[in-house]
Amino acid sequence: MAKGFFTDTTLCIGCKACEVACKQWNELPSDGFGFTGMSYDNTTHLSGTTWRHVAFVEQAQDDSRDAPPRWLMMSDVCKHCTHAGCLEACPTGAIVCNEFGNVYIQPDVCNGCGYCVPSCPFGVVDVIGALRENAHYNTATLQNERLQSRQTAVQNRGGVAGKCTLCYDRQRAGMVPACAQACPTDSIQFGDVEELREHARGRVEQLRRRGVSSSLYGVDWESSVGDLRAFFLLTDRPEVYNLPAKPVLPSTHQRAGYGSAALAAALLIIAGMAIFGTKV
Amino acid sequence: MNDAPAPTYYDQPLLNKPHWDGKVAAYLFVGGAMGGCGMLAAFARRSGDTNLERSSRYLSLALAGASPAILVAHLGRPERFHHMLRIVKLKSPMSLGAWSLVFFSIPAVLNALAQAARDGVLPKGIARFVPERFCTLLQAFFGTFITGYTGVLLSATAIPLWAKGKYHIPALGVCSAVSTACALNALALCRDGAAAGTLHKLDRLKTCASLGELGVLLHFYTYGGKTVKPLFTGACGERLRKFTVVGGILVPVLLNAASVLFGGAPRRGVVPCTLAASGLTLLGGYVLRAMLLDAGKASADDPREAFVQPA
Repeated sequence: MAKGFFTDTTLCIGCKACEVACKQWNELPSDGFGFTGMSYDNTTHLSGTTWRHVAFVEQAQDDSRDAPPRWLMMSDVCKHCTHAGCLEACPTGAIVCNEFGNVYIQPDVCNGCGYCVPSCPFGVVDVIGALRENAHYNTATLQNERLQSRQTAVQNRGGVAGKCTLCYDRQRAGMVPACAQACPTDSIQFGDVEELREHARGRVEQLRRRGVSSSLYGVDWESSVGDLRAFFLLTDRPEVYNLPAKPVLPSTHQRAGYGSAALAAALLIIAGMAIFGTKV
Repeated sequence: MNDAPAPTYYDQPLLNKPHWDGKVAAYLFVGGAMGGCGMLAAFARRSGDTNLERSSRYLSLALAGASPAILVAHLGRPERFHHMLRIVKLKSPMSLGAWSLVFFSIPAVLNALAQAARDGVLPKGIARFVPERFCTLLQAFFGTFITGYTGVLLSATAIPLWAKGKYHIPALGVCSAVSTACALNALALCRDGAAAGTLHKLDRLKTCASLGELGVLLHFYTYGGKTVKPLFTGACGERLRKFTVVGGILVPVLLNAASVLFGGAPRRGVVPCTLAASGLTLLGGYVLRAMLLDAGKASADDPREAFVQPA
């Protein structure tokens, strides 16, 4: 009975309510006020303190200046892989698969080694830089007693890895994750993964009948990361949304790596034994 | 859907980069040399080479003190370093590495104590309580593991350059670890006239390791294609060529060859040659690690490399 997200990009209107709701509920600091100038996307990427990110793709149609551009919008999030690279890499056991089948970082266990960061084939998790306490927080919305409390300090002061928790705390209280709750068009749907998949396949069929070709990303995959608990309906190639077409679970490289190291070590041990010889 | 070149999302990077900086490069270097010293300590014991046994044991102790310190310093939360020892995770090279540091350090301390007792620094009786053979064996086993696991750790990531190097980077790490360990021991022994024979053997092993390193590096260059460009071109490539290939491998190998041809083992001219060769090898080993880290991070910036990840 794993819980997850189905993000239907055909319904996204790019309002970024999910980004705001996520920041607010999880008491995440702002990332500053940079303007990229490339699109309406000023968030650009998921990070340790940005757990939802709305991508804006503007595609010119038919090379004609008069035709309106095609807009693709997608709210990106941690994929909560069934075989998660970050979870396998974590040397402290801080990253676990919780009772809802979601990949969760225990913020009081993580020691900020940073190994999960390059181990995520989707570029989701990141180590939160050392933040000055209270800086960049919206103190109007941050409850004062929680700001003071140790719990908040541990969760937010930085130095540990951060990513979407699939609102573990809200789920435990029987609530819907903040982003899905805030989404005004039901582009972000939360629920039982099996049911969501069934619904998503129906949606692809429905769109096909209307003449829109779409595909599911992260379902029925022959990929080493397995099916995703947060999967997407896309109307273009995954690369367009900055998603990898062929993600690879990093731990699959280990056998080759250990083999190569063992071979090199064996040859050098033989050389060393030959050069130094035995006691006379 | 079609064969057009993959579009990107405004050329934004797909992957996140680790925050690993110079401290991690320093650890890869120091940890490697430490593991190599563990291997040398075993060679020394097997051959009854007391000079090398002494230097490798003291160096093991010193490096076993330095490497955990550097590792702890690079953590986002250094005060939680001991969380690494909550669990053993066979799937995580970093977990296995942390544990092998522990199992290397304990025998390294014991053997160094025994050595100090034999050298008259500590009371002689202490040596009797140290199972030196067993400790040397442990040191050699975990030392060898430590020389190799860092390369596996890098390759077992989504970073395109590191993942592409799964056959090369671990072998490079082992070769460079042995060559830097030989260089460190040679530096420690080069003023001791009685150790001339040992110096000679160290030079020979170092030459083997360095040539292996060169071979793997050349093969990585030809095999890696576009993915390895960040390592072999630009500022990274220049530093790698200058300090690692020429300075760290070719020049020391030639110097060692010269000392064999013209010096002969007991002559005095050997010492400056060994000194220079060792220093250059150490510098080359460090630059190799630093450039692997830098180039890996640079390769993570190219989204096209990350869309279809090396299988």
